[in-house]
Amino acid sequence: MSLFLQLLFTGFGIGAIYAMVSLGFVLLIRAANVVNFAQGEFSMLGAYAMLILFAGLGVPYLLAFVLSVAVMAVFGMVFAGVAYWPLRHRGQLPVIISTIGASILLANAVLAAYGPSPQTLPGMFDNPGFEVGEVFMDSQYLLILAVAALLVLLQYLVFEKTMLGKKLQATSQDKEMASLLGIPVAVMVLITFAYSAAIGGIAGVLVAPILFVSTGLGSLISLKAFAANIIGGFGSIPGAILGGLALGIAETLGAAYISVPYKDAFGFAMLLIFLLLRPQGLFGERIAEKA
Amino acid sequence: MKLLEINALTARYNAGDVLKGLDIEVSEGEIVALLGSNGAGKSTLLRCISGLVANVSGSIKFAGQELLGRKPESIVRMGVAHVPEGRRIFPGLTVRENIALGASNRRGVDRRGFAREVDEMFAFFPELKRLEHALGWKLSGGQLQMVAVARGLMAKPKLLLLDEPSLGLAPLIVQQVFRIVADIRARGVTVLLVEQNANMALSVADRGYVLETGSLLVSGPPSNLWNNAQVREAYLGGLAAAV
Ligand SMILES: Nc1ncnc2c1ncn2[C@@H]1O[C@H](COP(=O)(O)OP(=O)(O)OP(=O)(O)O)[C@@H](O)[C@H]1O
Ligand SMILES: [Mg+2]
Repeated sequence: MSLFLQLLFTGFGIGAIYAMVSLGFVLLIRAANVVNFAQGEFSMLGAYAMLILFAGLGVPYLLAFVLSVAVMAVFGMVFAGVAYWPLRHRGQLPVIISTIGASILLANAVLAAYGPSPQTLPGMFDNPGFEVGEVFMDSQYLLILAVAALLVLLQYLVFEKTMLGKKLQATSQDKEMASLLGIPVAVMVLITFAYSAAIGGIAGVLVAPILFVSTGLGSLISLKAFAANIIGGFGSIPGAILGGLALGIAETLGAAYISVPYKDAFGFAMLLIFLLLRPQGLFGERIAEKA
Repeated sequence: MKLLEINALTARYNAGDVLKGLDIEVSEGEIVALLGSNGAGKSTLLRCISGLVANVSGSIKFAGQELLGRKPESIVRMGVAHVPEGRRIFPGLTVRENIALGASNRRGVDRRGFAREVDEMFAFFPELKRLEHALGWKLSGGQLQMVAVARGLMAKPKLLLLDEPSLGLAPLIVQQVFRIVADIRARGVTVLLVEQNANMALSVADRGYVLETGSLLVSGPPSNLWNNAQVREAYLGGLAAAV
């Protein structure tokens, strides 16, 4: 039982990372109709930005964290301008191909600059964690859970309680109509890209102490975010969060009880099961019912 | 005073010219009806005015200023609101939120100001009040139309473009919609009204234009259009013949 609780804790932590990346992924689908295959690269770049600032330049941890996220927000807007904006009237496929290209380019650019050897980043706290009953609460996992919860709350408040949030939602539901009302659609899309990259960067910095920082981190996280989205329901915001958590827990339990080397396979097996049995995911899309 | 002056307007999609050199005028305070059969180019004309059509030539002047080349966002800020075909209510937002967003073209209105103006719209459309927190996708056709018009009015436009507000509505609701159009003009808003329902449209309009495959067939006051045999036969239908 204590092993199970321990695994649940770990699964939630990893799941929260997937949920964050998945959330960024789904926001781009909704706001800009962009299925972004470079979503995981946002996390990879965030982790490398942290590496440069903290390990390289010796900036204090918290400041380096904040700066990395700010860098990623700006990077998100640049990404929008280069990989999305010129192709925005051409339909979904050219944009998808462009994001795949961007993901390969970014991974290889970092590979050229840093080489293939994985780097390590320390966690935020010196204290490794503490025991609660028989479960060891790792401080980095606690941080991940706290930040993820805070982000979900913040996003809820912005989207549901502010005029900006309503304009972002309107833009994601019908861009042409939004422009007819005077909503600056381009600005809304840029904000979404910035936020999506920032949240990806946050996930990257948070997961770096648990995984190694390597150029392969991006594609791994992209795949997980994609799977979390299918499991949760493509394009659904609550689905992205729950899908991410479910994936993290399934992977962790599968690795512990069945086979460690196949850890990643459990997530994808779950993805396949959903594709076969419930392709609309946990949350069948409500917006799709608009008729 | 001329509020809208359209000269030699040509619009094309990939397939070819959809508008072929139109001249149309709307004076301040008028209701002008734009009639024509399916595919005549009525919606395209409204989309040109709002800046949604890329491939256009000629001139569209609003209050003396050229609109061609401007973005939709900037045109609505100048005071032209467009209630488009299909109503286009945001399905995942509530009625109140949809209506409030209609004021996105105006600066310097605070949250409280918005809320008050939305309440004014509920006074104008009392049926909507009880649907205040219903999501867009749950509304019926008539309700969607009222939300769409309310949202358009929130822009405080000088010119309101209405695209087939009566489409798909029950006769009783159609009458209500046209009463609302008349009320809107009484508030000092100029209206350019696209309609298939020519009878109703001409009953509220000061003047009308009839389009046929991108060109102007006739124009003038309603009585002229009623009396034009070609128009009657082609566009006003059997009902008009009986009037
Ligand atoms: N986005 C588009 N791309 C290509 N052709 C278009 C497009 N929109 C409209 N058309 C064509 O332009 C012509 C005019 O269409 P428009 O929608 O303006 O007509 P309408 O008078 O509003 O008709 P309706 O009464 O059916 O609404 C039609 O032949 C239509 O097929
Ligand atoms: Mg039309």
